[in-house]
Amino acid sequence: MSETRTALIEIEDLTVKYPGRRVPALEHLQLQLRAGETALLLGPSGSGKSTLALTFNGLIPHSIGKLQSGHVRVTGLDTRQTTVATLAQRVGILFQDPEAQFVMFTVEDEIAFGLENLCFSPDEMERRISESLRLVGLTELRYRRVEQLSGGEKQRVALAALLALEPEILVFDEPTANLDPQGTREVFNLLRRCKETGRYTIVLIEHRLDELMDLVERMVVLGKRGEVIINGEPREVLRTHLSTLQELGVWVPQVARLAHALQHHGCSLEPFPLTLSEAVEALKGRRALSAGQQEPSAPTTSTAVHNDGHQRFSASPPTRSEPDQGEAAIEVCSLSYRAAGRQVLQDISLAIPRGALLALVGANGAGKTTLAQHLIGVLQPPRGRVRLLGRDITTISARELTRHVGYVFQNPEHQFITEAVEDEVAYGLRVMGLPATEVQERTRALLERFNLLSLARASPFTLSHGEKRRLSVATMLAMGQEILILDEPTFGQDEYSATALLELLWQLHDDYARYVPGSHLRPVCGRHESWQAALLRDASSPLRSRGAAGRGASDAAPAGSASAPAWLVRSAHPGGAM
Amino acid sequence: MQVIYQEGESLLHRLNPLSKVVAVVPVLLFVALTTDPWLPLAFTALASAVIVGPARISPGTFWRLQAPLTISLLVFLILYPFMVRAELFDHTPVVLRLGPLALYQGAVLAGMAAVLRVYAMFLLSLIFMLTTEISDFIRAMVQQWRFPYRLGYGILAAFHFMPLLQEEFRLIQAAHRIRGIETHGGVRVHIERLRRYLIPLLTSAIRRAERTALAMESRAFGALKQRSYFRRFRFSRADYLFILCFWLLCLLVIALFLLNGWMGPLSFTKEL
Ligand SMILES: Nc1ncnc2c1ncn2[C@@H]1O[C@H](COP(=O)(O)OP(=O)(O)O)[C@@H](O)[C@H]1O
Ligand SMILES: [Mg+2]
Repeated sequence: MSETRTALIEIEDLTVKYPGRRVPALEHLQLQLRAGETALLLGPSGSGKSTLALTFNGLIPHSIGKLQSGHVRVTGLDTRQTTVATLAQRVGILFQDPEAQFVMFTVEDEIAFGLENLCFSPDEMERRISESLRLVGLTELRYRRVEQLSGGEKQRVALAALLALEPEILVFDEPTANLDPQGTREVFNLLRRCKETGRYTIVLIEHRLDELMDLVERMVVLGKRGEVIINGEPREVLRTHLSTLQELGVWVPQVARLAHALQHHGCSLEPFPLTLSEAVEALKGRRALSAGQQEPSAPTTSTAVHNDGHQRFSASPPTRSEPDQGEAAIEVCSLSYRAAGRQVLQDISLAIPRGALLALVGANGAGKTTLAQHLIGVLQPPRGRVRLLGRDITTISARELTRHVGYVFQNPEHQFITEAVEDEVAYGLRVMGLPATEVQERTRALLERFNLLSLARASPFTLSHGEKRRLSVATMLAMGQEILILDEPTFGQDEYSATALLELLWQLHDDYARYVPGSHLRPVCGRHESWQAALLRDASSPLRSRGAAGRGASDAAPAGSASAPAWLVRSAHPGGAM
Repeated sequence: MQVIYQEGESLLHRLNPLSKVVAVVPVLLFVALTTDPWLPLAFTALASAVIVGPARISPGTFWRLQAPLTISLLVFLILYPFMVRAELFDHTPVVLRLGPLALYQGAVLAGMAAVLRVYAMFLLSLIFMLTTEISDFIRAMVQQWRFPYRLGYGILAAFHFMPLLQEEFRLIQAAHRIRGIETHGGVRVHIERLRRYLIPLLTSAIRRAERTALAMESRAFGALKQRSYFRRFRFSRADYLFILCFWLLCLLVIALFLLNGWMGPLSFTKEL
């Protein structure tokens, strides 16, 4: 507004409570954000980030929740005394779920919706609609229906709808959590563009922040009780508080981890890097200083797989560890599938040996779930296309199939069928006809392993997201299937629960089972050195298998973009028989 | 709804949604009163002509959309004469005798009348449904007929849920099957299964509704008493002209029947 770098958002001693909740969502929160600043808001899930965002635009306390103490001033206005109509023109919030933000059916109507609520004249609306569409680069989609848009386009439309209200403050509340890499990139580019206009003060709540760190001028970290525990300049915060952040279970830029790991080995980077290119510069500088010293290498693997994995790996066929003779666990033979007039799967062939651990990676809508559903009988493949453990899937009854293949759905809630956590696990065992004492024993053992024992009597629906996911995996393991398929197991989780789940999977895999996790999460941590790309496809064409796992991937076409989806196969040692 | 609305640029698509309601509803009510089969038949022809004519729906699409109803009505038509009480029609001539069963002309005609009446009413409403987008209809009602806007836009937002909920239901069904849930069994098993679906379905519907409500209110929905409108819905000359022409056409048909004495009595209560 008038002068930059004055406090635009002032929060003093803020305590917010939701009705029906014993503990406040935010407690004695103190925060000041300056005009034009870009702040990153971090915190474990449930720490109150979204709640804080809602206090900016006055929905708290005007619509939900209660301000028990303190006050919030936005552009000098006390939100308690200001109407939501006024605040909506100061603060725009882009939410996580693109579907849940739409009211109208076409792009134009959707953008007009907010303007209509504020009684703008049609001429003014016209001006603002075309201006905001221009800003997000969707002018040519103006008359499109929203359900025909991709996830990234939907979020851009949602943002255009906010920009039309000409706010000064933009809050991005995990806007990419439901998007694939392509959509994420679109949203990030747009965010960059918003920043470059210099018109907005930006509050960013985001898990996957590696590509954005150069924009961030301030990091604010919320603790579990909803209080600000760290607030400072990102370089300083990451340099000095990394372990605190990791203990909290929030995502930390990979580069910051690298720098810390290097430091641990006596190689400190100056200045402390926030982005990949800064790290490269810092490392170059060091090399020049101490030529001849050993080069750091290993920790960058996971980034490398994502950024240029296809070039690195597609040339060599996946090396499989020797002992996987005998029939494959899953064998797919030129499977095609059409739905709603669209070729979803085209001529897929692959063989997954027993004991393999395979990640199915692809853009949203590429056909990952569709393929997986062919393996469990949710979708029926034609005869002779899919073989499980050496038998044609069409000859296996549904009941028997569930004993061989476990499937964890993207939304774990879908799978809950009882009222208590322990019954949930015991259910499968009872279906198998085991004696009651054994059911009890095995249930306890599983709950213990998945760290759910203390919740045994709780209703599955009251668990946190991470707990729900652990429970759904536990229920699937209870029956001891040889094949386990997980659909986006880390979807929508904070780093802590995502890592915990993956660790658990690797551990289980090493112990005995075989998994096919499908996920658009890029390789995250530690033990991914042996991930290999086996198949690549262009994001715009239907999923087509080129080189299948185990057949060599030498004919895999080089894909253009960094996030070109690939099948990643981790060569693994088959464990002992179950 | 999206399931039945056919995108297009035809004359009827461009009309104000309410003018189609105004044109069709009185005719619909009139057809409901008829008791003979011939007048509904005439309106069936008229409605079909409007649908493939000025509404520019391809005959194939039209056929596909109305086929399910046609089939069930045909089944009804065949069964009706045998199920109706014989003493109502035993004064009319017998058309066909199948052992102990007699097929009376009166029963056949009454069955045809019932079936054609339903069919004509369905086709008349298709004129509206095939060419009108639900969001346009609700917005027009809000703007022109003082339908409460909070309710109207709430309904619109709910329409986004429908396909999502359907998809969700399908997923839950599959998920439960994979858990090894009993898929065969009597009514009790069936009810128990539906009850199990309900909890996850409701959980996610409520969560989604909350999110949508927050997103709407963040954009000042309901913040002011009034709203302005980017696209104004009003009756243009074309709308009045359409209503007039449609009514005249219908009156012409009715007059033709009246003058020739083809029309049966009108009645609210029909004895079956
Ligand atoms: N509408 C609501 N009603 C009751 N409790 C809520 C509501 N929204 C959030 N909460 C609770 O407030 C706390 C903070 O949630 P939230 O702001 O969503 O955290 P974050 O965005 O950091 O994940 C959580 O314990 C959550 O369960
Ligand atoms: Mg949140």
